[in-house]
Amino acid sequence: MSSWIDYTVNGIIIGNIYALLAVGLALIFGVSRLINFAHGSVYVVGAYAGFLAVTHLGTPLPVTIALVVVVGALLGLVIERFGLRPLQGYAHIAPLLATIGISFVLDQLVQLFFTPDPRALPSSLLETRFQIGSGTIGALDLVIAAIGLASAGLLYTFLRYTRLGWAVRATAQDRDAAQQMGVDVDAVNRTVFAIASGLGAVSGLLVGMYYNYIDPAMSFQATLKGVVAQVVGGVGNVPGAIAGSLLLGLVESYGIALFGTSYRNLFAFVLLVAVLVWRPNGLFASKRQTPPEPMTGTFIAPSRPIQIPGKVLLAAAAVAALVPLVLPHPYVLQTLTNSWLYALLGLSLTLIAGTVGLVSLGHAALLAIGGYSSALLALNFGVPVGIAILSAGLIAALLGTVLVFPSFRLRGHYLSIATLAIGEIVSLVILNWEWLTRGPIGVSGIPSLSLFGIELDTDRSVYWFTLVLVIVLAALQLRLLGSHLGRVLRAVRDDDVAARSYGIRLDRYKALAFAFGSFAAGVSGGVTSHIYSYINHETFNAQLSILALTIVILGGMGNVTGAIVGSVLLVGLPEVFRVAAEYRVLIYGLVLLLLVRFRPQGLLGTV
Amino acid sequence: MPVLHRRSLLAAASALVLTRAVQAEPAKGEPVLLGVSGPLTGPNAQYGAQWKQGFDLALDEINGSGGIKGRPLAYIFEDTQSDPRQSVAVAQKFVADPKIVAELGDFASPASMAASPIYQRGKLVQFGFTNSHPDFTKGGDYMWSNSVSQADEQPLSAAYAVKRLGLKKIAVLHLNTDWGRTSKDLFDKAAKEMGAEVVATEGYLPDEKDFRSTLVRVRGAKPDGLMLISYYSDAALIARQVRQAGIKLPIVAASSVYSPKFIELGGDAVEGVFTASRYFPDDPRPQVRDFVGKFKAKYSKEPDAFNAYAYDTMTLMAAVMREYGADRKAIHDGLAKIKDVPSVIFGKTTFDTKTRRVDGAMNVELVVKDGKFQLNESHAAVR
Repeated sequence: MSSWIDYTVNGIIIGNIYALLAVGLALIFGVSRLINFAHGSVYVVGAYAGFLAVTHLGTPLPVTIALVVVVGALLGLVIERFGLRPLQGYAHIAPLLATIGISFVLDQLVQLFFTPDPRALPSSLLETRFQIGSGTIGALDLVIAAIGLASAGLLYTFLRYTRLGWAVRATAQDRDAAQQMGVDVDAVNRTVFAIASGLGAVSGLLVGMYYNYIDPAMSFQATLKGVVAQVVGGVGNVPGAIAGSLLLGLVESYGIALFGTSYRNLFAFVLLVAVLVWRPNGLFASKRQTPPEPMTGTFIAPSRPIQIPGKVLLAAAAVAALVPLVLPHPYVLQTLTNSWLYALLGLSLTLIAGTVGLVSLGHAALLAIGGYSSALLALNFGVPVGIAILSAGLIAALLGTVLVFPSFRLRGHYLSIATLAIGEIVSLVILNWEWLTRGPIGVSGIPSLSLFGIELDTDRSVYWFTLVLVIVLAALQLRLLGSHLGRVLRAVRDDDVAARSYGIRLDRYKALAFAFGSFAAGVSGGVTSHIYSYINHETFNAQLSILALTIVILGGMGNVTGAIVGSVLLVGLPEVFRVAAEYRVLIYGLVLLLLVRFRPQGLLGTV
Repeated sequence: MPVLHRRSLLAAASALVLTRAVQAEPAKGEPVLLGVSGPLTGPNAQYGAQWKQGFDLALDEINGSGGIKGRPLAYIFEDTQSDPRQSVAVAQKFVADPKIVAELGDFASPASMAASPIYQRGKLVQFGFTNSHPDFTKGGDYMWSNSVSQADEQPLSAAYAVKRLGLKKIAVLHLNTDWGRTSKDLFDKAAKEMGAEVVATEGYLPDEKDFRSTLVRVRGAKPDGLMLISYYSDAALIARQVRQAGIKLPIVAASSVYSPKFIELGGDAVEGVFTASRYFPDDPRPQVRDFVGKFKAKYSKEPDAFNAYAYDTMTLMAAVMREYGADRKAIHDGLAKIKDVPSVIFGKTTFDTKTRRVDGAMNVELVVKDGKFQLNESHAAVR
């Protein structure tokens, strides 16, 4: 029995840490309607700033905290001014991508300056520990809790009782109306970014001290947990974010207690999906609230797509088909083959996110389902590879649609977060479902690609095979977009109320589009598994989902040709930047930022 | 012209890496090139950085003593972030580049094993020196590895824990990756054969930082000792939280924690942790003295396990090429023939031609004492 007290205390302690992250994310979301993917990077910068202060200047804790707050706030101002302000007035999707680019750049800068080695971040003052239950808590735990509560209290006072705070709340409720009433919306944004980033940086410092451990790669996990916590509490709701964080910590801790450590995150993400489906505004939102987002037509930028005549497309396809004859270099062919595989993923997501407006952040899960289905069918049941890949597409279509179906009632960011969670759940199920998936050992010895008994064992044949898949599915998708069905799907995206009042059953059309898209992703995953010969739960990871979304946004949402172009660029660019060695990812991030800055509607425009 | 463009990029890339990899050496002429596929950016970047240190140290020696039959040895390090999508592209690049005579890496199994079919088809040796996945060398006769076999190491860990330290009820915490899982299964088996019982098993993800609740669960199983199948960073995190939770049980950790970082990150909490290593600075073996001394002189820090793997690998490849010739086929055939190459990890490296792996890693049993790894003399002597 006493161990339950321990689990509870541990849950609260870890929730306490999540709270520091979630509050910053909630603030930014509240005002800018933006999931700030750079928040984890600010957290890393804060940790390293604190590391410098402690180890080189020998500052005492209060001074260190003050320094880190200043560094974080300044960084927040820079991010807001140069990364996000120029994107104002564009659809929300552009700043989302910008924060992803910023996080690449920041993480990589930290890594270049401090090396990727983990560092110790000692906190000599705070070694005192108190006995609670059969465990102990340290003075640092109390400091973290105190800072969490104090910052929440200060924020509450600020938002309630100061003029700037009112302005922040007014902007959060209705940006345009606030502006018309004379609120300086830019100033509000600046303030919010400074406060949130200051908090984020301090949380990096405190968490680093807590574990005596910092490394540049810890940002993604921090963002992920912070996002989950704030959504559970209700996006944009600061006290809710704190409560959500504590709840998340408790659920993780009890999950470990009941099922073991490797189920920890599974519980966190199942909780998230359950909360989203059950109470989309978060657990702690009041029942009557203005809709979380003014939805119609704002999430995805309307723009005029670049019209490419059919002849040009045909010519491009012909050129692509001739590449292996003109330029038979295996490295080029492999890079392009990878591009075609990602183009399939891009086609899938551009249909689901662009045409129907379901912006999925968990698309790698479909690759994983496809990859595992095809690999296991071929290995365990001796299914011919061609049929296994086809089945993989069908299984991904079915399973993907079933998994996401409950989330179809969600909109905008809520759906994105639900799909993010579903993606993580699929990966964790693969890790833990050992008799089927072989768990962390992974599936090896997957038969290589073959079709009707003919081995596709040259680089050329694999290239042509994947290219044909892309062309066929792209042609099908273009046909779909041009049909009555395509218009219906766009109607669902642009104005779901209007669409519904015309008698369109939203769920059914969304499911139809999702199934079609998932098929392409499943095929891509299946082909990939046969090319790699070995996959495990890390092969199709969350970073891949982000890449998929980047491909789609870069090409232009819903734009079939754009998805293919985006994929060639995003798979190709990191290869081109190879000469830059360690600076490669940095340059990639910067290019991404510039592209978003100057072409926020995507290279070829939204369809 | 795309062809010219690509070539010039390649040339620029090699020039860039070469200037860093090769410093003033007596060996002259066209360098003999090895391709390295590994992480320089991304979450595993720290391991790629450690590889480089080990490689560069070995190259100083090799090229200082005549290189490969008068030609300098060098490597091209291509960053893959240990991501299979990039490792397959890099594999094609290396296979197509006739100057590359063998490939080293990648780091993690998904990246390494995805590239194996390409190396096998291209008949270029893929030398996966950190790939302990049991199926890695089954990818084909061009897949070789001198990574310490867990089938070798885990019985030694079990013997340390059970026979020397007298643990009877062990709780195992392991990284839930292919390496951690394989190791755990082998450890369990060996410990049971020696008469101990594994009372709790907890697998955790590589990016996990909080182990409090895991430890409550572990404590509930009433073990008399903990076994950590971890890398140094997570082992340090666990050890700290073990001590903070007031658990005073002995901790045994896999040899992969042997790194100065383990002590830096763990602080007082890792005091008394038992571990093992393939080598030890005070080892009387000349190659160890040599390696540790030169490493400290060059980088002013103690080498760790990954430094040693990289150093050993570069030395081994040089030995193979010096004896059997510096082309792809010669290296493939030479690996099977070469005998007794002096090695930090194995003492002497000779491959088992059936498994294409090396058996019989050296083993010294250590304990952390006064903030340093020291021989565990209170229990018995070095084996």
